[in-house]
Formats: sequence, C-alpha cells, structure tokens
Amino acid sequence: MEGLISKIKSKFGAEILKKEKNQIWMKINNKDLINICNFLKENGFDFFSCLSAIDILENNIIELVYHLWSQEKKTILNIKTEISREKPEINSISKIYTASQIHEREIHELFGVNFLGNSDLSELFLEDWSGPAPFLKDFDWREYVREKFYNKENENEKGYYN
Amino acid sequence: MENILLQTKNLLKLKDSSSKTLEKTNNHRKKLKKLVKSIWVFNWFNSCGFTEVLPVVGSRWDMERFGLIPVSSPRQADCLIIAGYQTIKSIKVAKLIYEQMPAPKVVVSLGSCPVSGGMYWDSYNTIKKLSDYLPVDLNIPGCPPRPEAIFDGIHRLIQKVNS
Repeated sequence: MEGLISKIKSKFGAEILKKEKNQIWMKINNKDLINICNFLKENGFDFFSCLSAIDILENNIIELVYHLWSQEKKTILNIKTEISREKPEINSISKIYTASQIHEREIHELFGVNFLGNSDLSELFLEDWSGPAPFLKDFDWREYVREKFYNKENENEKGYYN
Repeated sequence: MENILLQTKNLLKLKDSSSKTLEKTNNHRKKLKKLVKSIWVFNWFNSCGFTEVLPVVGSRWDMERFGLIPVSSPRQADCLIIAGYQTIKSIKVAKLIYEQMPAPKVVVSLGSCPVSGGMYWDSYNTIKKLSDYLPVDLNIPGCPPRPEAIFDGIHRLIQKVNS
C-alpha cells in the first residue's frame, strides 16, 4: 500500500491529506483524474463506491470527492478534486467505472456539474425543472417556491411571505 | 339446562325491551346495510404515508371489517387513497392512476401534506395542494392520521355515497 501511495505522489503529484487505518484522503488536479483512475483500477481499486460534491461558495469552487474501495487491500480511497463554480466541467469517469454513470447524473442534476463524456445526463428526480441547480448554496429555494406555488393575494397563503 | 334457562330469559328480555333498544338494533341494521357494499381501495403512497397506515390494513384495526380491500389494479378500484406528499414527478403517475379507475370514483387524501404541503411547505419539488391537481373528496388531516380518524373518514365517505 505504501508503495502505491508513493507512486501516485511521484507520478501525478497528488497531495496526501490524511491517513487512517483503512482510509486515505488525497487531493489531485482535476486534469489528472482520468489517468489516476486508470492507474488505480489496474492496481486493485476496482470498486467505485460513491461520488459526492460540496459547494464552497467562499472559494468559488465545487469540490468533488470520488470514493474508491479496494477489496484486496481493504482500503477506501477518497480522491478530492476542485472545479471552478463559473465553469463546472470535468471529464466523466463512467468509461472506467461504469457504476459512476448514475452518480454523475445525480450530481449534474443537483449541482449543475457538466460531466464530459457521460452517456446520459437527463433528469433523474426533478422532472420539468426550470430553476437553477437546487443544491448550490446561492439558490434561494424559498423565493423559488413562493414564486412557483404560492400567491401573495391569497388570504390563506399570506403567512408564507413574512 | 341452566344455560338454556338463561338464554330464554334473555330472549324474554329482548321481547319486552323498550323502544330505545329497538332503535339501537335498527341503527345497527342500517349500518350493516351500509357496509354491504365493499369499497375496493387502490393505495398510492409516496412517502411515510404507508408505514403509518399499515396498522389499518393489519389485524389490529383490520380494515376488511368495513369492506375495504386493497386491490392491485386501479381498474378494479372504487377509491384512491393518496398518502403523504406528492412530488412533481409522482403526481403525473397519480393522475394516470386516477384516469384508469372506472367512473364512480372517490379520492381520499391522508395526512397534512396533501392539504397544505405540511412540513414540506417550502420544498422546491413537492406539490402543495393535492386539490389543485385531482378532485379530492375527503381530506383526513393529521401527521400521521390515527387509524380511528381514517375509519371516521371512511364512515363519512359511506354516508356521502349513500345520500
């Protein structure tokens, strides 16, 4: 395991953030993602567990975390990478890990991240959605709901406008 | 022998019973008449609704004694029970189910979510009032409604159908 980590470090310039018994956190450049995933899949990390996204408004970035699991090494690898909020684009890893397709579709729907090369990024839960991506922190959902569902003139719904 | 004596005594009691007990039996008969027609129910439960209504189906409260039977196809159903919030995606399915049901049909909504949105009043993906989308005949409020409330609602429904 130590050999693999030092290899990733020297080959791709990854930064190891934290190490625990069965978990490793690392940070990479978003351009290296495909190469790193290819390399890791060949070296035992063949199970794509989950993809999460964090909207960090202060730094103007969206952080993506790829969770990869290795059954033979009994280790979970959390790969963090950052993309800009203005142009949220990243290469899709669905060709390497097929299971990531639906995760990317969900993140695309909720955070508006565009995954280049994903085969299907259509709506998953939000049918007929017209607003901005709902999980972004600058989305004012209450304002959206007032506009879409309620009427200020209605006597019963006045309470929602306080 | 003693048993038979007791029974005859009871029968005699019934015979010279007052008008009050007669009324009671009449009412009971009327109620039974109402229950002759059984209501076949199609459940469209989207959220916590079904887990809360489950005791009504089970033996503790047993909805079959009121003639309510859950059916597996909307084409056999008289009554559509919608419980819990509906999302914009699922209300389309609910409409489809409603259209598939044969003509004398009733829609019952359970819980506070279909009435006003409930605790999801500011959610961006749930509909707020079910009556905007489907003709609701009966709202049974509560979060969740008690089984007694559901039976009370069903009783009102039967009264409405009879009148």
